[in-house]
Amino acid sequence: MRYIVGYTADERGHDAVCLAVALARRQDADLDLVLVTPEHSVYAGTYPPDQGFDTLLSEQMREWMDQGLALVPDDVTARGVVIRAESNAEGLIRAAEDTEASLIVIGASSRGLAARFSVGNVARGLLHAAPVPVALAPRGYRRTEPATRLTCAVGRRAGADDVISVAVSSAERRGLPLRLVSLVALDAGQPDAGGAEDEANRRLAEAASSLAAGGRVSVETAHGSSIEEAVEAMAWDEGEVLLVGSSRLAQHMRLFLGSTANKILRTLTIPMVVVPRTYATPGTTSGPGTLSTEADA
Amino acid sequence: MSIDETTQRGTGLSRKGLDSGTVGLLGAVVIGVSCVAPAYTLTAALGPTVAEVGVNLPAIFLVGFIPMLLVALGYRELNSAMPDSGTSFTWATRAFGPWVGWMGGWGLIAATVIVLSNLAAVAVDFFYLMLSQILDDPSIAALTLDLPVNIATTLVFIALACYVSYRGMEATKTVQYVLVTFQLVVLAWFAIAAFVHVANGTAFDATSISAEWFNPFAVGSFSAFAAGVSLSIFIYWGWDVTLTMNEETTNPKKTPGRAGALTVVVIVVIYLTVAIATLSFAGVGDGELGAGNPDNQESIFATLAGPVMGPFAILMSMAVLSSSAASLQSTFVSPARTLLAMGHYKALPKGFGRISPAHKSPSYATVAAAVAAAGFYVFTRLVSENALWDTITALGLMICFYYGITALACVWYFRAQAFSSARNVLFRFLAPLLGGVILLVMFVKTAVDSMDPAYGSGSELFGVGMVFILGIGVILLGAVLMLVWSRINPAFFRQEVLVQGTAAREE
Repeated sequence: MRYIVGYTADERGHDAVCLAVALARRQDADLDLVLVTPEHSVYAGTYPPDQGFDTLLSEQMREWMDQGLALVPDDVTARGVVIRAESNAEGLIRAAEDTEASLIVIGASSRGLAARFSVGNVARGLLHAAPVPVALAPRGYRRTEPATRLTCAVGRRAGADDVISVAVSSAERRGLPLRLVSLVALDAGQPDAGGAEDEANRRLAEAASSLAAGGRVSVETAHGSSIEEAVEAMAWDEGEVLLVGSSRLAQHMRLFLGSTANKILRTLTIPMVVVPRTYATPGTTSGPGTLSTEADA
Repeated sequence: MSIDETTQRGTGLSRKGLDSGTVGLLGAVVIGVSCVAPAYTLTAALGPTVAEVGVNLPAIFLVGFIPMLLVALGYRELNSAMPDSGTSFTWATRAFGPWVGWMGGWGLIAATVIVLSNLAAVAVDFFYLMLSQILDDPSIAALTLDLPVNIATTLVFIALACYVSYRGMEATKTVQYVLVTFQLVVLAWFAIAAFVHVANGTAFDATSISAEWFNPFAVGSFSAFAAGVSLSIFIYWGWDVTLTMNEETTNPKKTPGRAGALTVVVIVVIYLTVAIATLSFAGVGDGELGAGNPDNQESIFATLAGPVMGPFAILMSMAVLSSSAASLQSTFVSPARTLLAMGHYKALPKGFGRISPAHKSPSYATVAAAVAAAGFYVFTRLVSENALWDTITALGLMICFYYGITALACVWYFRAQAFSSARNVLFRFLAPLLGGVILLVMFVKTAVDSMDPAYGSGSELFGVGMVFILGIGVILLGAVLMLVWSRINPAFFRQEVLVQGTAAREE
């Protein structure tokens, strides 16, 4: 099993490496630290011309790669890869496709305003096009111990089954407790208009019952006047990892972050894994209760 | 920690997707023409050149190409022997040692910084002109004459180009094809429209073409000749980019040379046509539209496009604006990379060598180039009556300086192999030697002449000509900074980083 780590020689890259190490431990996954180097257009019209910038840049890349690999502890196998691509997102996706990796890990923070998880450009690009799950490390993430619990956010729309089955198989393989959460945003002053909560609970109960008897599964519903508040109202473990599904607007086997997932992303300070719609490792089928799925996250 | 050594060290740099072998003859010519930016160059240089040589403008445009060609041949030899981000800086250091090398690098940076400020200023002029043409309100075009508005807008343009360059965004093939075609079509349109006016008797000051225009020896004085040639160096600046292309082309042996030749033909034809059309239409008198009127010389198309092209003058504004804005962005890369190389080799503080981890572009150096260009522009605009004119003349001076050093560096570096083959005699010795000497002679002559307060646009500071202050002042500033830095960190100057040397003798 191989994870692609979107590495940059800054805080964001450090976040990504730490999360990748945490996820790789006990999974025996190998890490590919991928540095994307820009592809220079010959039509850029740089004048006076020079052909030496690449030399200085690759020297710098090598130094950065050494620093990046030094962040990886001894018990995790890692190698460095440099890829030439037009954008970081494109380079990481190609690296994932080339090596048939099962996960892309990136630091999601931008140097933007206060929000700890405001999505950077690379993350945005990836979340719209990646064919495999993408793990996002929040700003300043430094924990490298394995995860202690998985939480799976379940939407009310069709397509939630896919992310649940990925969550179940992943929790099973890692021997982790799984928590299924439905987030309900209620308008202030209008308690449970339209029976949103009933609907959410019914959906979760269904999902839980469709799971095999084994495994530790809990079900929760979180309330708030907004999705952001609902997320904040919940108790989160330090070693928690959150799984969310991609929007139903996404193409088959592609990621697209829905508005709810986007809101969670902006509120939360724990790592989050976004799973593409109808994602499953080749050779397996996906759907409710398909516990054999080996999709990794 | 285990590291896959083969991937990390060996084949670490994946060359996949590099544009190798994708540029054909046409593509290379487009790249060459885009680097010359003819619409911008003509509007900026036509006036000042007419001021120096009058009707002999076509002759000077032809003669000016010769030293450019000679130096470019040497440049190509150095580029293939020592491809390096520092170009002139690294080559001059290898040939002549750290002191001359540092000044060569400084000359290159100063030339590109000066051209950045001029590009931004021309873009701003035509930006307001275009707005006024769109909204049909002449008062908007006059905004560019309002000092605070002009300076503020120019700084915004510089900041935008700096940001785009820092983010590593570049013009694509399609963009360049469109820009170049558009420029050439509009310039041809201008020339044809001017000739039509002359034929119909509606020209401002119809002047009949004479063979004398093409005779370089008819230029009144050596001073005027030297000034004209150093301006011509500027108008061809950019042409030689095709010669340094190699593996990007479909046929590395033939494409670069052919593209270079074809680019020159395209450029010379368009320059001569536009120059002759302008002279025939407007004459060199100092009347309202005359090319000899100092008010028109700053930006000739801003004055003439309206009378010549009528309602289609807006196309000229668009051509000059797009050409100068595109060059503004692509030119940012060059001083930034030279500063980066100098930082890397400890010839400047370490910060200049910094590369942005996120965008993989020079970070500190790009911002430094923008600050310098902005500072230079504000200073010139405040002190000079005719900032664009003086900057272009100073720019010609600066290009002669660093190109001259580079050409002689080629001769000196390859001295051991100069006579080992007929090819070397020509490309590594004769051509660069002749080119370098011509440029340095033009440099010295123009520098001496420009001390006269009446030189150029006639602006002065403390009784010394503005062009001298801008040109020589910047070079002296470089010398002072070099001495200061050599005290702070002498490693580079003690040749601990880059060592003087020569190319090995060929057996």
